[in-house]
Amino acid sequence: MSTGQENNRTVEIYRYDPAEGGDGHFDTFDLHIEDESNTTILDVLIRIQKEQDTTLAFRYACRVNMCGSCGMVINGREGLACKTNVSDFASNQGITLRPLNHFPVIKDLVVDMDPFFKNYGECLPFFEPKEIVEEPAIIRPDSPERQAIGLATECIACGCCVSSCTMVNYHEGYAGPAPLNRAFTLLKDSRDALFTERMDRVLQSCYNCRTEFNCTEVCPKEISSTRAIKFIQRMAMKEPFRKIEEEKFVTAIKGVESAAAIEDVEVGVTINSDGCEGCAHNQPDTGRRDFLTKMTLGIGAASALMVGGVLASAFVGPSMRKKETLWVPAGKMDDLSVGKVTTLNLKYNEKIGIYEQSNVKPVMVWCQSSDKNIVVYDSRCTHLGCAVRWDKSQNSFLCACHGGKFALDGSVIAGPPPRPLDHMEYKIENGNLLVAMVS
Amino acid sequence: MKQQDTINYRKPLQWGEFDPNRRRNMFVGMWAWMWQRITAIAIIVLLPLHIVLTYKPWLQFLLLLAVTFHATLGLRVILLDFNLVKVQYQKALIWGLTGLGLAVFALVWWII
Repeated sequence: MSTGQENNRTVEIYRYDPAEGGDGHFDTFDLHIEDESNTTILDVLIRIQKEQDTTLAFRYACRVNMCGSCGMVINGREGLACKTNVSDFASNQGITLRPLNHFPVIKDLVVDMDPFFKNYGECLPFFEPKEIVEEPAIIRPDSPERQAIGLATECIACGCCVSSCTMVNYHEGYAGPAPLNRAFTLLKDSRDALFTERMDRVLQSCYNCRTEFNCTEVCPKEISSTRAIKFIQRMAMKEPFRKIEEEKFVTAIKGVESAAAIEDVEVGVTINSDGCEGCAHNQPDTGRRDFLTKMTLGIGAASALMVGGVLASAFVGPSMRKKETLWVPAGKMDDLSVGKVTTLNLKYNEKIGIYEQSNVKPVMVWCQSSDKNIVVYDSRCTHLGCAVRWDKSQNSFLCACHGGKFALDGSVIAGPPPRPLDHMEYKIENGNLLVAMVS
Repeated sequence: MKQQDTINYRKPLQWGEFDPNRRRNMFVGMWAWMWQRITAIAIIVLLPLHIVLTYKPWLQFLLLLAVTFHATLGLRVILLDFNLVKVQYQKALIWGLTGLGLAVFALVWWII
């Protein structure tokens, strides 16, 4: 028995008995296969059913890759049992078979394809000619339309793509790759009369694709549904404009009708009244749209708050902070002459928020007596803040702007100023005069 | 349809459920999508951190890396969406663009 070791295969098959219910389990069958390159997975299944377990249920019809009945998950990847050879897998590798994902399991490998064909039907998978012609249509193989559609018409509706698509699981109203591919072949066909109806039905679905290319990878017919969906998405970009055109058309017709006072408004422009109640396309999958709206608003608000908070604290924070009094050195006390007013320029750096500037502010120091009895006047006029200067000849402080005049003790002599000149705090350290700058 | 009520259907198998070989079904396109999502979340987390904690090299490194991946994979989807590149080159796009992005990233980070 050891001679044929390399031709022995362990086949694990998912079993589910509707009479028992439950989650199902795997049964293991050992099989000796003579010619692996000539034995398909379907042959293996038929042999197991004949030789080992007659209750094994699976579905097949044509055996030649044409009908799409035997779609299943073979060693983790969707494919047709009749198209996959045993030799496709390394000889030391077992074979695991299980039913397609995202379909209700009826028994063993047989799934209920009803949801799939319901979605397929939703997309109007039939050709409706614009005009009836008796003769066969002549389509040049090099016409752009024919080239664009390509082999997308070859779909055999096996359901492998739907099984591989992770998005089918997350979007209730998603038609799935194969129905959208079918819709694409007809949407692209200029002879077809149902463009608007079909577009309305696939419009919501076509945005559920996340460009994963799983359907393209597994398709036994090597059709790229992803490509088809992208085509529909590009066509859908024109939809808003089409809707606007339609509305214009409808209002125009209504205008004509009301003028003619005709009762019948239904002139073949009503698109959605197709008598389909409870269909997925009549209740568009708003989940994604809602989610996107909420997420956009939420993330927008959160990031705005975050950025705003950071910016606000950076800009407003420092100015909110209690400012430390800045003691600006004004000069030596010895330089002041007694009984006279000396104008000193204070040079200091001012920090406003994150902005820093160097300022020069003149102050007037009146040295009353030699025993360091001085008054420091702010040079800002108490009227409107112009710079006040000491005028020696008039023995008063003059403001050039509006004729404000202050006496030596700061009191108002003339002009509009409402109050005497402001005094500034000062202190004397080691014979140096320091003036408090509070801005 | 009435038959359905009598037959006890098993709920649909989920993607990868009961499947010891599911790794065979994890195609690079899916990872591209997944990775773009992950980096998107990373950006959401890292960007405010970057604003709050300024000039932290490790943070800048991570953020730039996340942005690189997100941008290149997003570029791939844009190119495919608008048919600027044929869908048959999607895998080449993933590696090509990501490689290009990482090269630019390395250039920015280590050389400039």
